[in-house]
Amino acid sequence: MPEILTGNLAGYILVALLLFVIGLGTVLTRRSLIIQFMGVELMLNAANVALLAFGRFRQQAAEATTFYLFILAVAACEAAVGLALVVALFRLRGTTDSDRADSMRQ
Amino acid sequence: MFLTFALITLVGALSMARQSNLVVAGLSLVLCFLGMAGLFLLLGNPVAAALQVIVYAGAIVVLLLFVIMLLSAHEEEQAERNSPIQRWLGAAVVAILGAGAVKLVASSKLLASFKALPGSVDPGPVTLDAVATSLFQQHLLAFEAAGLLLLASMVAAILLVKKEL
Repeated sequence: MPEILTGNLAGYILVALLLFVIGLGTVLTRRSLIIQFMGVELMLNAANVALLAFGRFRQQAAEATTFYLFILAVAACEAAVGLALVVALFRLRGTTDSDRADSMRQ
Repeated sequence: MFLTFALITLVGALSMARQSNLVVAGLSLVLCFLGMAGLFLLLGNPVAAALQVIVYAGAIVVLLLFVIMLLSAHEEEQAERNSPIQRWLGAAVVAILGAGAVKLVASSKLLASFKALPGSVDPGPVTLDAVATSLFQQHLLAFEAAGLLLLASMVAAILLVKKEL
C-alpha cells in the first residue's frame, strides 16, 4: 500500500487540498447563497486540516490546536454575520439567489 | 483508518456540492465534519476532534439548517438567466487548480520527508492542559480579542436582522 494512503503528511495535505477545491467549486458553480456559504465553511475547514496535520508532524500540536481555536472563533462569527446578511437580503428582495442580488439599488 | 475517514470526509463534501436539496446538503456537511473529526483523532488531537463535533457539526450546521427552514429555501431557485459559460468556466478553473495541486503534493519530496515521528519520541495525544497553557500564557491577548470579536459579531447579527431599531 502506498504511503500516502496510510496517513503520512502528504495524505493529510491531499485531503485538505481536495476539500478546498470542492469548497471553491461549490462557491463558483452554485447560485444559492446558503450553499455558497457552506462552501466557504468547507474551505475554512480544509485550512484547519492542513494546520493540524502540520502541527502534528512538526511536533507543535498544542500550538496548532490553539490556532485552531482562534479559527473556530472567527468561523463562528462569520457564520453569524453571514447568515444574518442572507436573512437581511431575503427580507429586502425575497430571494437567496446570488445572481439576483446584482444591483445596489433597493 | 486514515483512508476510511478521508473517504467519509470527501464523500460528504462531494455530496454537499452536488445536492440540490439544501437540507440534505447541510446533513452531508455534518457527515463531512464528522469525518474530519475522525481525521483529527488519528492525528492524536482529541481536543480538536471534540471541538469540531461540538462547534461545527453542532452549532454552525444547526444555525445553517435553521436559516434554510426559516426562509423555506429548500431548493435552489430557477436561474434568472442561463449563463452556462460562467458555470463551465468556474468548474474548469477548479478542475485545473485541483489537478495541479494534487500533482504537486503527490510528487513533493519535502512533504514525504516528514515521517510520522522522527526519532523515537512519541509526543502523545494533545491534552487540554497543553492547549490551555499555550492559550493563556502565550496568546492571552488574542484570546481576549477573540472574545471581543464574538461579542461584536453578535451585536452585528442582531443589528442586521432587526426590522427597525
